[in-house]
Amino acid sequence: MGDAFQQVSDSMGELLSTFYPTAAVGDTTAGLTVYTFWMLLACVLLLVAMGVFVKKEAASTDLVPHGFFMNAMEYGVDFVRNDVCKATLGDTWRRHFPFLATIFFFVLFGNYIGMLPTLKPGTGSTGVTGAIALMSFVYFIAVGIRKKGVGGYLKSLAPAGLMLPIRVLVWVIEVFSTFLRLITLAVRLFCNMFAGHVVMGTFAIMCTIFVQPLVHQISAAALGTASMSLLWLVLLIIIYVVELLIAFIQAYIFTLLSAVYVQLAEQEE
Amino acid sequence: MNVIGYGLCVIGAGLGISFAAQAVANSMARQPEVQDRLFTVFILASAFIEALCLIGFVVSIM
Repeated sequence: MGDAFQQVSDSMGELLSTFYPTAAVGDTTAGLTVYTFWMLLACVLLLVAMGVFVKKEAASTDLVPHGFFMNAMEYGVDFVRNDVCKATLGDTWRRHFPFLATIFFFVLFGNYIGMLPTLKPGTGSTGVTGAIALMSFVYFIAVGIRKKGVGGYLKSLAPAGLMLPIRVLVWVIEVFSTFLRLITLAVRLFCNMFAGHVVMGTFAIMCTIFVQPLVHQISAAALGTASMSLLWLVLLIIIYVVELLIAFIQAYIFTLLSAVYVQLAEQEE
Repeated sequence: MNVIGYGLCVIGAGLGISFAAQAVANSMARQPEVQDRLFTVFILASAFIEALCLIGFVVSIM
């Protein structure tokens, strides 16, 4: 039994070492890590999918989408437009729709690329999620400054109508929480993708460990142990389905929060 | 030590999600017609709470 525990912890260490961003092309200073490599692949895939979608849309004679691909893409675009942009931003949704849709589809494709076995999600490294979060951060501050001016935006962080000392205090807290948004956006997406894949990997290890006695010799006891791995296999499939759901939900949450921050920066006092 | 920390983290997240689920179940029992909208809100809230738990997980294995 102690042997089995040792084996589990060894395999866990091996599993975690595959999550380090090793170089796929070139070296780690001037090249691509495994994460950025698959992120680039997701980008190319997204570009191709969007190109085909736009071309087919222009070529079709009627407004009704035909086939799985066209319907899926149209549903995605419609989802961002109605459930994210129109629902949170209100009248000005048209101006921010391109940016938010870009973020949504980039994160979505990054997440789903990682769901294929042996591939890594582009969004599973802090570098990529930090970059997207930074873009969102710069975008909503730029929107706020364009709308109210630098002074006006800084002043609008604290609600008007408070006594002066309390207003200064609230302003400091608000500035702090604004910078915290950048970190939470990045860390939330990274942790969801990273932890999800570690959990799936652990379950896969548990699946294989109970089969090993059966590989060495076929006996009733070995068959009994191997039946345990069936249970882990079922759990692994359940977790996989949950991860498919989470990949979509995280893309939605990232976009929704960006939209909420834009709306907060833009709103009139 | 890491495992204890992660256990505490799971307690917090479990409490959070169970409070949310309780409130949603109560509201659905009172007003079954808002089921669809409540489900979205519940999934969103759970994702926010779960993120905290996952941060704990990642920190504990790093």
